[in-house]
Amino acid sequence: MDTKSFAPRLRLLATVLAAAALLAAGCRREPQPAGQAGSGAPHRGGTVVTGWTAEPGGVNDLILPASQPTHEMLFRVFLHLVEEQSDFDQHPPTFRPQLARSWDWSADHKTLTFHLRDDVVWSDGVPVTADDVRWTWQAQMSRDVVWEGADSKQWITDVEAVDPHTVRFHFSRVYAKQLLDANEGLVYPKHAWEKLPFSEWRKSGDWFKQHLVVDGPFTIGSWQPQQQVVLQRNERYYEKGLPRLDRVVMRLVPSQSAGLTQLLNGELDFLPQIAPGDVKRVQAAPQLQLIAYWFNVYVAVGWNNENPLFQGPEVRRALTLGIDRQKIVDTLLGPYGRVADSPVLTMVWAHDKSLKPWPYDPAEARRILAAKGWRDTDGDGVLDKGGRPFSFELLTNAGNQLRTDATVMIQDQLKQIGVQAMPRQVEFNTLMSQTNEGKFAAAILGFTMDTSLDLRSNFHSRSIVEGANYVRYRNPEMDRLIEQAASQPEMLAEKPYLDQIQQLVHREQPVTFLWESQRLTAVNKKVKDVRPTLAFSFFNLKEWWVEPKP
Amino acid sequence: MVGRTEALSRTLAGFLLRRLAASLLLLLLVLTVLFFLVRRVPGDPTQFGEGSRLTPTQRERLQELYGLKRPLLAQYLDWVSSVSLRFDWGTSLSQQRPVSAALLDALPATAILAFSGLAVEYLLALLLGIAAARRPGSGLDHAIRVGGLLLYSLPIFWLGLMAVLLFAYLWPVLPSSHMHSVDVDLLSPAQSLLDLGRHLVLPALVMGFGVGGGTARYVRARLLEVLGQDYIRTARAKGLSERRVLWVHALRNAAVPIVQLVGVTLPGMLSGALLIEVVFSWPGLGLLAFNAILARDYPLILGATSFSATLVILGNLAADLAHAWLDPVVRNEAA
Repeated sequence: MDTKSFAPRLRLLATVLAAAALLAAGCRREPQPAGQAGSGAPHRGGTVVTGWTAEPGGVNDLILPASQPTHEMLFRVFLHLVEEQSDFDQHPPTFRPQLARSWDWSADHKTLTFHLRDDVVWSDGVPVTADDVRWTWQAQMSRDVVWEGADSKQWITDVEAVDPHTVRFHFSRVYAKQLLDANEGLVYPKHAWEKLPFSEWRKSGDWFKQHLVVDGPFTIGSWQPQQQVVLQRNERYYEKGLPRLDRVVMRLVPSQSAGLTQLLNGELDFLPQIAPGDVKRVQAAPQLQLIAYWFNVYVAVGWNNENPLFQGPEVRRALTLGIDRQKIVDTLLGPYGRVADSPVLTMVWAHDKSLKPWPYDPAEARRILAAKGWRDTDGDGVLDKGGRPFSFELLTNAGNQLRTDATVMIQDQLKQIGVQAMPRQVEFNTLMSQTNEGKFAAAILGFTMDTSLDLRSNFHSRSIVEGANYVRYRNPEMDRLIEQAASQPEMLAEKPYLDQIQQLVHREQPVTFLWESQRLTAVNKKVKDVRPTLAFSFFNLKEWWVEPKP
Repeated sequence: MVGRTEALSRTLAGFLLRRLAASLLLLLLVLTVLFFLVRRVPGDPTQFGEGSRLTPTQRERLQELYGLKRPLLAQYLDWVSSVSLRFDWGTSLSQQRPVSAALLDALPATAILAFSGLAVEYLLALLLGIAAARRPGSGLDHAIRVGGLLLYSLPIFWLGLMAVLLFAYLWPVLPSSHMHSVDVDLLSPAQSLLDLGRHLVLPALVMGFGVGGGTARYVRARLLEVLGQDYIRTARAKGLSERRVLWVHALRNAAVPIVQLVGVTLPGMLSGALLIEVVFSWPGLGLLAFNAILARDYPLILGATSFSATLVILGNLAADLAHAWLDPVVRNEAA
């Protein structure tokens, strides 16, 4: 998911080496497997050691590329105005007060006023005020800072500090995601960081660490580059009694399998993601607990819609019919995956439940391709038309075993209908470069879904240049539906348009959906009340506790 | 005697100057090739990964801020002058900090690992090489040669993984990774040093054993070559003990190529034994460079690689000087 905020946008992502090496997984409301909840009164104190395959990038995410470890850490160190809840399975997500104790709207719905808590202070004792909120917005919009989430603020014309505990957001238009957009991004300490001009920010990562003050439940105790970051309790955190842990160590591990070894021998207490193939090892260890929950990524084959091979929905649908997706899911994911059929994930309130995945039907696929003029005229087993064989490279990112295995299975299945797919692994940055520039035929990619359900980035024709429509899909009907959905005043009103979009994608198959999957988290049973969400393994970190040693 | 020493000094100084000049030219050539090679790799530092929301306009702005929109030649000239005149490698694009700071952070870890690995390697190589050379053709000699070849042939990452499996998992007596324990902040300096020692054991042994087998064969071969020389026969004929022949006469002469080998090996180790560092989560230069490459962090890639190139060139220079100093033929020529 786009962990940049709780108000992420749906966007394509080619899953990162580490996260991608495994499943994209899915999410459910608040997973609380048996035995994981604490028995008895929560204990205060103790340390939990967690393992990560990548290191947090720094302490100021306005100048950092999006990364899971960075946001896992920073979201426990700094606060948002409000906190989005993971209750989006039946309706749009709701919000809980955080830095703001309440909020209200003007009559024309173009002004949103937050009333800030008066008991929140930075870790140096300075109160958190509306000035911090306004200054953070200025930093977010600075052309020198180049915050990658700045697009979410495009309709905000001003942020006004009315008094120390009242801040007002002014919008140029009314739309459904105004609260999401106002809440986008963390609030940073003006008094500590304003000394550095915005123009210096992108070369001053160390400076922010040296001038760190926080208002979240944890602060950063120590940072050993390429080794570990130690979070320790912020004694000035406003929620009394929280956090329960003294320290949380984010330790870098070379790989998920190495992390699992360390978890098994007790060096780690928590591993946010393990491979499906490792589930048995976790289940066989009496001290460990497996937490499985649906995650917010779907994996699909993106067809370059501008490539002559893939032009026309019939051909793309034939390719989908020629891929046995259930077999791929059963083989690679077992019970921890399911066939995907929509860009709106099955677990989300706006998913169109009337959709049924296209079946595996190679005979129908062959018939459609023949009707479109694809025949094996030279008897080499590969269809051809006008002298051109139906042959292409199927890319995926190197290091992702799951997707590599899928490319091989797809190659074998498409061969049965006379289509030659040639698997090729490329390094992640190279793959992103090729897909951005449209220099590819087909690629297995991960797409992240967030709760804003904004499909513009992936399927609007304008996003071919401006966004993440890597498959270069153009359809005026799609553009119209996306714009109509985005112009609704509230999210529930978007549902009819989202249904039509899903049906159009289903008919036209600009991508062939492969799977949704579960994220598999392993945790030592001594750690209690661990409740990861689709966005964060550390979602309720402040509530975790460990049983004292007897 | 004084004149002889002066002549030797002048000769060595001249040699040093010539080699230094050649080394600087070589370094410039390497940096130039590196610069253009790195920029030919697909992708760029603004090509963020999963979940990135960077718009094309923002990417262009970042490229502008990073100076990537200027002509490549202008970027190259700026970079070379900045590095050579101000020793400034620029700012890491992925870490938003000076490249030199990132390199200096990683250098101690790599240096500790490299010198420890080197010590293990040469201790092993000298022990096994001498033992084998003393009784050529014996069962022990065969065992050492085959064992050395086997060790040298094994992929070092596999050796590392097996060491972790054996000594950190099946028989958990040593830590499997990292340079320090989780609680290092709470330890006294002496405990911290001990903690470092425990963490160093496995990576240093793997690094030393991984290459030590090959070096043992090299030591054996050099020793056997020396032991066949006339002056060794003369020494034996003079009635010197076999121990003295071996340790004083043979080993001293065999040391010249062995020292040269150290000069070549050490810079490689210092520039980061990537696989070892990855397997053991050792926070050194190799890991730093690897992550920089994935992120297309041009300044950091160039900083790390030019640092390595410098070390290799200096290492070779040092080896040549050592050779000139140790080799009596060179000394006599100088005199």
